[in-house]
Amino acid sequence: MLDVFINLGLGLAVALTFKNIALCFIGCLIGTLVGVLPGVGPVATIAILLPVTLSLDPTGSLIMLAGIYYGAQYGGSTTAILVNIPGEATAVVTAIDGHKMAQNGQAGLALGLAAIGSFVAGTVATIVIAALGVPMTRMGLLFGPAEYFSLMIMGLVFAVVLAHGSLVKAIAMILLGVLLSCVGADMETGRERMTFDFGMLHDGIEFVVLAMGIFGFGEIFKNLADPESRDVVRSRIGRLWPTLKELRENTAPILRGTFLGSILGVLPGNGAILGPFASYAVEKRLSKRPQDFGHGAPAGVAGPESANNAGAQTSFIPLLTLGLPPNAVMALMVGAMMIQGIVPGPQVIERNPELFWGLVASMWIGNLMLVIINLPLIGLWVKLLRVPYRLLFPAIVCFCCIGLYSIANDAAQVMMAAFFGLVGYALYKLEFEPAPLALGFVLGRLLEEKLRQALIISDGSPLTFLQSPLSAALLAIGVLALVVAVLPAMRRGRDDVFKEA
Amino acid sequence: MTLQTTRRFALAMCGAALAMSIATPVLAQDAYPSKPVTLVVSYAAGGGTDAIARVFAARLEKALGGRVIVENRPGAAANIGTEVAAAADPDGYTLLIGNQGPMAVNPHIFKLKADPETALDPIAMIADASLVVVVGPRLEVNTLGELVEAAKSRELVYGSAGNASASHLGALLLGQTAGIKVKHVPYKGAGPAVNDLVGGHIDFMVTTIPSAIGLIESGTLKALAVTGEKRFDSLPDVPTAIEAGVSGYTASAWYGLVGPKGMPAEVKSKLEAATSETLGDAEFVEKLKKDGAVPSSMGPQAFSDFMAKERARWGGVVKAADIKVE
Repeated sequence: MLDVFINLGLGLAVALTFKNIALCFIGCLIGTLVGVLPGVGPVATIAILLPVTLSLDPTGSLIMLAGIYYGAQYGGSTTAILVNIPGEATAVVTAIDGHKMAQNGQAGLALGLAAIGSFVAGTVATIVIAALGVPMTRMGLLFGPAEYFSLMIMGLVFAVVLAHGSLVKAIAMILLGVLLSCVGADMETGRERMTFDFGMLHDGIEFVVLAMGIFGFGEIFKNLADPESRDVVRSRIGRLWPTLKELRENTAPILRGTFLGSILGVLPGNGAILGPFASYAVEKRLSKRPQDFGHGAPAGVAGPESANNAGAQTSFIPLLTLGLPPNAVMALMVGAMMIQGIVPGPQVIERNPELFWGLVASMWIGNLMLVIINLPLIGLWVKLLRVPYRLLFPAIVCFCCIGLYSIANDAAQVMMAAFFGLVGYALYKLEFEPAPLALGFVLGRLLEEKLRQALIISDGSPLTFLQSPLSAALLAIGVLALVVAVLPAMRRGRDDVFKEA
Repeated sequence: MTLQTTRRFALAMCGAALAMSIATPVLAQDAYPSKPVTLVVSYAAGGGTDAIARVFAARLEKALGGRVIVENRPGAAANIGTEVAAAADPDGYTLLIGNQGPMAVNPHIFKLKADPETALDPIAMIADASLVVVVGPRLEVNTLGELVEAAKSRELVYGSAGNASASHLGALLLGQTAGIKVKHVPYKGAGPAVNDLVGGHIDFMVTTIPSAIGLIESGTLKALAVTGEKRFDSLPDVPTAIEAGVSGYTASAWYGLVGPKGMPAEVKSKLEAATSETLGDAEFVEKLKKDGAVPSSMGPQAFSDFMAKERARWGGVVKAADIKVE
């Protein structure tokens, strides 16, 4: 344990030089800005800034790029809470209760809890990376295709509680999400599925396109069609800061979210996106007032936001300990290291300790900076809600379109999002929740990929899911959760329980 | 948001102003290049092809004396980029990084809107990137020969960066050349596949050198052979596949410069000369090495012949494995 502190000391010495603090600040600021702008994500930003980092030293450039990444995660929550546009899969959960809170005049409280939760999570995750990086890498490697598939199944079972309306409608939305995730070329044979010969569908639907359409554009249609409800929201701003009591109430959700996010963030194939969903499900189960979830429950923001930030940070673990990128942003970080002549891999920690520990220490400093940058901004963000909607919505639409176009320099993505906007409005009118759809979409991709990989390796034998102890245990937990959920339902009538619990 | 908006616009304006100041002034109307050249890359920013394209574009700019802008047009197994370049005006202001997948493999697998052989004009070869055969903890072998032996007692499982990727076809060809049966597990990108190789969930991979070199150097993965004709500088102890006993087996991901069919001859020769100047730059060669590639100089005719040969060769591999889509 002592080693950890000596190493963190070395890291702090590196991260606390004036230049590195400045780079960390610039990264966090750029990250917050691109995160707040709907549609412009960290992947595009880091890709654009990659050549710029050539002129910096390796540690400095990675500190800046990392700042952009977690800054963007953070900024994305602001947009999700204020205007209900989740730019990333992880912000979908925040949008559910966060935007409801904003509508209830608690935008300041939601933003404040998100900021505090993220900071706590960032602090804990930094220590986790420093102390448990290597053992957690080993844990991540245990998850082969079979184990991963079982984890997804467990996740899907838990996901059903995400809905706060009818169970049947929630399941329908999850399945629709899974179906949409199947669009595009088959991963094994390359055969086109549900693409109707549209070239733009060959690679499947981009998550950002789906989210921007269903949540972003859908919300705008909704507000334009129903001006009264929107004006009510705008007249009630409320308090900006959480009270001590509210902070106390949300301590446990923040810590639980941090724990879940930290573990899931290490998994390959972007496990970090599972954290917020898992945290939301757990909080709703443990809450004394589960009926508040979906109508502006503070724990539904604090927990998932913490999980989000913790996962964003622990997803650096496989990159730093093995040189393996678990998601698209980390793949770009690999690129940034290679440009600097550093070969990512297990040897980085020995050969470049100042880089490894400097980056880890800078994460904590970065989180502190995010709080410093964002707490004063909360007042400004909340005032944004007072901007007349006739000015606000064209600006949102404009930024969304720029972001969508920048995904592949292709207008087809913008058109597709417009289509999903109509879908989103239709879902709202028919009282379907879009969040389970987003979850189904995210999980569906991984689910199919891992299922097929596992079955190819096992020569088509489904027993592979039971032969691996880890996989079998995960499946058992899923079955157990299902039984627990269904038993009271049998007593009270199925629909009732999911309305309330 | 208004505050952010102004800041962002101000940033964009600064960027634009900077770009203008760097651009060389136009000397004469007919002198090529008199405006920025767009270099289309069929892959997303941040990947292997993109890295090589950006390093190349920066050097080409100096050699040409004009701006070269990299434009990423990813999608549809890199066929979108081919279509974009094929549909552009053949004036030398839209060029494409033509590489192994879309140029030599995809015509055998997909129904293409633009056939690279007829719609595109080869200008020059740029670089050649050997692949490397690596094994993880699941397969206890030390040489390529032992891998081939092991494959006779049980069917080995290999991971790839995706259907029809270089890592897929490289391993397919290894199986066909060595006469062993191997089973393909596609992943979404090399990263997750290498992850499962390290975790012991799959047996081996034939992957790009940058995707594995860190793990090879640390001893986490074992490199059995490189697939090029020569050994690779950064892995001097790793034999070529031919040296390791699989005769006739080579596979590489290569990168060249192509443009739309019908470019003026003087533009083509100017681009060819600029490319060859770039390949002589020691710093460029050093950067290529980091991306696992070596410079490979070929003029339009040699590059065209090379692509025809590669296309025929990979066509045979695809046919033998029956991975055609339609």
